[in-house]
Amino acid sequence: MIDTIHVALIQFPGSNCESETARAFRQCGCAVTMIRWNQPASALAGYDAYVIGGGFSYEDRVRAGVIAAKEPLMETLAEEAAGGKPILGICNGAQVLIEAGLVPGLHPGQVEMALATNLMKREGRVVRRGHHCHWINLRHESRPGRTPFTRGIDRHRVLPMTISHGEGRFVCRDESVWRTLEQNDQIVWRYCDDDGHLRDDFPINPNGSWGSVAGICNVEGNVLAMMPHPERAFYLRQIPSAWGTAWGEQRRAAGGDRAALESPGPGRLLFRSLAGSLPA
Amino acid sequence: MDTLAQEIFDNEKRLAETLRSYGLALTPAEAQRIRQRLNRPPTLPELFIFDIEWSEHCSYKSSKALLKKYLPTTGSKVIQGPEEDAGILELTEFNGDRYGIVIAHESHNHPSQVLPFEGAATGIGGIVRDVDCMGAQVIGSADPLRFGDPNGKHAERTRAIAQGVIEGIWHYGNALGIPNLGGDVVFDSGYDDNCLVNVVAVGLVKENEIIHSRVPACGVGYDLILVGKPTDYTGLGGASFASGTLDQNADEANKGAVQVPDPFLKNVLLHRKANEAVWRRARELGLEIGMKDLGAGGIACASSEMGASAGFGVEINLDRIHVAFPDIPSQVILCAETQERYLFAVPPEFTPEVLKIYNEDWDLPRICSGAGASRIGTALKEPVMRVLRGGEVVCDLPIDFVVEGIAYNRESRKPVVEFPPASIPRPSDIGEITLRLLGSPNIGSKHPVYHHYDTEIQGNAILRPGEADAGVIAPLDGCSAGMALSVDGNPSYGKISPYWGGATAVAEAMRNVAAVGARPYGLTDCLNYGNPEVPEDFWALEEGIKGISDAARNLYDPKGVPEAIPFVSGNVSLYNRSVTGVSVPPSPIICCVGVLDDYSKAITQGLKRSGNRILLAGDRFAELGGSAYEQILGLPVSREIPIVRYELERGLIYGTVEAIHRGLICAAHDISNGGLLISLAEMILTAHRSGNFGLQIDLGEIKTDLRPDYFLFSESSGFVLEVRDEDVAAVKSLFQEYQVDIHTIGRVTDTRRLSVTWTDRKDICTLPVLVMRDTWENALTGVFI
Repeated sequence: MIDTIHVALIQFPGSNCESETARAFRQCGCAVTMIRWNQPASALAGYDAYVIGGGFSYEDRVRAGVIAAKEPLMETLAEEAAGGKPILGICNGAQVLIEAGLVPGLHPGQVEMALATNLMKREGRVVRRGHHCHWINLRHESRPGRTPFTRGIDRHRVLPMTISHGEGRFVCRDESVWRTLEQNDQIVWRYCDDDGHLRDDFPINPNGSWGSVAGICNVEGNVLAMMPHPERAFYLRQIPSAWGTAWGEQRRAAGGDRAALESPGPGRLLFRSLAGSLPA
Repeated sequence: MDTLAQEIFDNEKRLAETLRSYGLALTPAEAQRIRQRLNRPPTLPELFIFDIEWSEHCSYKSSKALLKKYLPTTGSKVIQGPEEDAGILELTEFNGDRYGIVIAHESHNHPSQVLPFEGAATGIGGIVRDVDCMGAQVIGSADPLRFGDPNGKHAERTRAIAQGVIEGIWHYGNALGIPNLGGDVVFDSGYDDNCLVNVVAVGLVKENEIIHSRVPACGVGYDLILVGKPTDYTGLGGASFASGTLDQNADEANKGAVQVPDPFLKNVLLHRKANEAVWRRARELGLEIGMKDLGAGGIACASSEMGASAGFGVEINLDRIHVAFPDIPSQVILCAETQERYLFAVPPEFTPEVLKIYNEDWDLPRICSGAGASRIGTALKEPVMRVLRGGEVVCDLPIDFVVEGIAYNRESRKPVVEFPPASIPRPSDIGEITLRLLGSPNIGSKHPVYHHYDTEIQGNAILRPGEADAGVIAPLDGCSAGMALSVDGNPSYGKISPYWGGATAVAEAMRNVAAVGARPYGLTDCLNYGNPEVPEDFWALEEGIKGISDAARNLYDPKGVPEAIPFVSGNVSLYNRSVTGVSVPPSPIICCVGVLDDYSKAITQGLKRSGNRILLAGDRFAELGGSAYEQILGLPVSREIPIVRYELERGLIYGTVEAIHRGLICAAHDISNGGLLISLAEMILTAHRSGNFGLQIDLGEIKTDLRPDYFLFSESSGFVLEVRDEDVAAVKSLFQEYQVDIHTIGRVTDTRRLSVTWTDRKDICTLPVLVMRDTWENALTGVFI
C-alpha cells in the first residue's frame, strides 16, 4: 500500500484557484497543505510534491509571475526541484515556474522563455484581444511518464481542458531553444483541433504560442508548467455539453445521470498519475 | 463643536451657495430640516453625512413607498429578505445543514458612463462585498449591460464605453476568482447618453453561519474594526453623484466620484482567505460578530447602519483610521467611498486576534500600501452617532435621525404618447429577414463578450453563458443541488408600456430558469429609470414596480401553493437621464434564481439528435410592438407588445420545469427576442457541431389567422422543446394538465438547413446553417475585439 502523498499548495497574494486545485488532489487521495507566501521558506521543505495554481499573483505586475518568482519560498522550491520532487505549475503557476527559471531549466535558474500576452490571430489578422477563457483540445506530445503527472497518457492522446488567461503565449528570444526542447522531449502539451491536428490560427491555437505549445517540462521531467487547467476538467460534468470529440459524446450521454457526470474528466489523469506513481 | 454659522441658515440664498460650494446635493429645505431637528446648525461633517444618507441612492426617497406597497418579499424559500446587504434564498438541505444562496443586485450606471473601466470594475467590487459580508463564499456573478446603438449617432463613444465596461468586468471578476454565470447585453439608442451596468453576485452560506450587517444584540461595548484599503479621497460623493442627472460637460469633475478598484487586495480579503479566517476563529470561539461592507457613504453609512439596526449607537475616532494621506478633512474620511473596505463589530477580547489575522497573517500592509485593520471605535448603548477627532467632537447626532432617511411623494403623470397599431408590409423573403436578425447586435452571438469572462473558475460550472437560457452551477461539493440564474429586461417593451415591460422581464427571467429545468425560487430587481422629479419618469417607475410585482405574485406553480416568487434583494437607480432631457427607456432588470434538486437533469438549448420532434408550447399572438422584427425593418414602434397572460404563463413555466424533471425533454429554449424562428435558429447554432443538424419545420398542424411573418417573429412568450418521438404523447398530455396548447411543429434533421413550410404546406423559408452561423457569429465583430 502506498502512503498518502503530501502535496504543498503554494499560495501567493492573488492566487485564486486554491479550492478546486486542492479538491482535485484530495479526491485522488493526496493530503494537501496550503503554504502562504509569507510563511518562512523552511515551511515548504519536505513535502512529496508541490503545486502552484492559477491566479494573478501580485496582480501580474511587470509580467505575470515575475514578482512571485522572486519570493524567498521559491529558493526552497528550487532546491526541492533539484532533488527531483514533482512540481506542477498551472496557469499563473506555470508563469511563476518559467520566471523562476525552473522550466525549461536548460540552464537552471536562468529565465529562458516568457509567457507573453495572447496574440489571437486568424488569417494574419488579430481577431481578439485581452483575456480569453474557453475550452480547448490538448495533444499530449511527450512519452508517457515523461513527467510524474503524465504517466499512462499515450503520446498524441487528445484531452479537452480549459484555458483562462491573458498572457499564455510561450515565447523564446533564441529560436534554437525550441529545437533543443523538442529533442529533449520537453514539450508536453500542444493545442490542437478535435482530430489532434495542429493549426496556427485562433481559436485552435488560442494565444499564438510558438508551435501551439501549451505545456513544457524541465530537462529532468519532474517540473511541469502548463497553461490549461486540469483541475477544471476533473469531472465529466465540467465539459461543455456541445463539445466535440468522444469526450463531448460521453458528456451528453451522461445527462440525467449524476454518477456518470461525476466520473473522471480528462484532467483527472494528471492528478491520478501523481497519486499513483510516487514511491512509498 | 465647530458648527456652521447660524447666519448661513438665516439666509436662503447664502445657504444654497454654501451647499453648492461644498458640492453637496442637499436642498436648502433639507438643510433647514436638519438644523431644526438638531436645534443647532450642523457641523460640516454632519452635513456631508446627511447629503449621502438622504440621497436617492441611499434613502430610496422617491421609491421607498412604492416598493413597500407593491413588492412581495416573503415566502417559504426566503431565509432573509431585502433588509441587509444581500438577500438569502434556500438552496437545499445537505448533511443536516440548510444552505442558502446569498444574492445581491446593484447598478453602477453613472460611474460606468464617465469612467467605463473603473465604473464597471468597482460595480463588481461592491456587489461581491455585499454578498461576502453575509459570511458567504461568493460563487458567481452576472452582468446585465445596456449600451447605446453601436452603429448609431454616437457609435464611437458607445463602442468605447462598451469595451471599457467589459474590460473592467473581466479584469476585476477574473482576478477575484468569481465565475461569470451569465448576463445579457442589449443595445438601444435610448442608452446613448446613459449606459446601464447592472451586476448580480451570488454566494453560498450555511444558514447557521450567516453573519449579519449589524452589531449583535450582546454588542454594547463591542469594538468597531475597519479593514482594508487606507481611506482616501476616492469616490467622495459617489452616492450623491449617482442620484443626479448626468451632465456630460461635467464628466471631468464627476470622475472624482468614481471609486478606484483593487481586485488584488480584494482577493486576499475574500477569496477564502483573510475574512474567512476571521469567521472561522469567531465560530471556534463561539463569538457572535457583525460585519458590513463599506459602499455608498463609506464609514459614515456603514457604522451608523450597523449601530442603528441593533438599536445602539456608535463612537468613531477619526485619529485611529488608517488613511492614505495625512490631514484628510473629517467629512472626507467619513464619507469617501474608498474601495475594498469592511467594518466589523467584535468583542474587545477578540480584537487583537482580528488585527493579527489581517495585519500579520495576511500581511495587508505589505500587499497594498497603507492597507490594514484598525480599531476605530465602539458600539454604544446610547443611540447616538458620535465622531471624534483630535479630542474634539465633530459629529454628534441621534443615530435614528441619521438612518431614517427622508421620503418624497413624487408627482406621477402618464405621458401623452400614442403608439400606432402595427403596419408591416408583407415581406418578400422571410429567410433574408431572419439572417438580418441573426446578424443584429441584440440577437447575434455574444461569444466575443463571454469569452473574456472566466466561466470555469471554482470548477462548478454545469451550463455556461451561451449554452442555455440560464447559467447553472453545482456549488456544493458532493451535493446534487444545482443553482440556475438568469437576468432579463427588454427596453423596447418598457418604452411602450412600462407595466408590461416590468411584467415581461419577470416572466422571461423565470422562463429562462425553467428552460434549463430549474424551479424559480426567488427574484432580484434593479430598477433603472429616469428622473423621479419628472412626473412622466416617475409614472414609468410606478408602472414598472406594479408590473414586476403583479408578475411575481401571479407566476406561482399552479400545482403548488399559490405564493408569490419573492424579491429578496434589489436596487433602484434613478436619474438615468442626460442634461439634454433624455431619459433611458424604463429598464427594470430582473434576475431569477432557480434550483434543481439534481443538477444532472439540467438541459441546454442546443439540438441533440436527428429525428427528434420539435414542439411549440405557447400560442403566437399579433404582438410585434417593440419586436426585433419591427426594429430591423426600421418601422415606427407599434403598440401591441407581448403581454404576460398570467394563467397561460404559469402553465408554460411549470409545465416545462416538470417535463424536464421527468426527463422528457432533450433541449428547451424560450421564445423571446426575435420570436419563434430566431429561437429555432439558435437551437441549431448552439448544438454540438458534430451533429450537423438542421430543422424541418412544418406548421401544417397549426390553426392560426396570423400572417407567416407575424407568426414567426412575434415575441409572445412560449417554449420550443426537442422531444424524442416516443415521448411526444407524454409531453402533450403533461402540458394539457397545465392547460397549455402544445403542437408538434417539425423535426430535427441532419441536413444542415433550416426550412419552414407554412400551414398551407408551402415553403416559406430555407436557410443553410453555414450561412446562418457565419452571420450570427460575426454580429459583434468590430463592436468588440
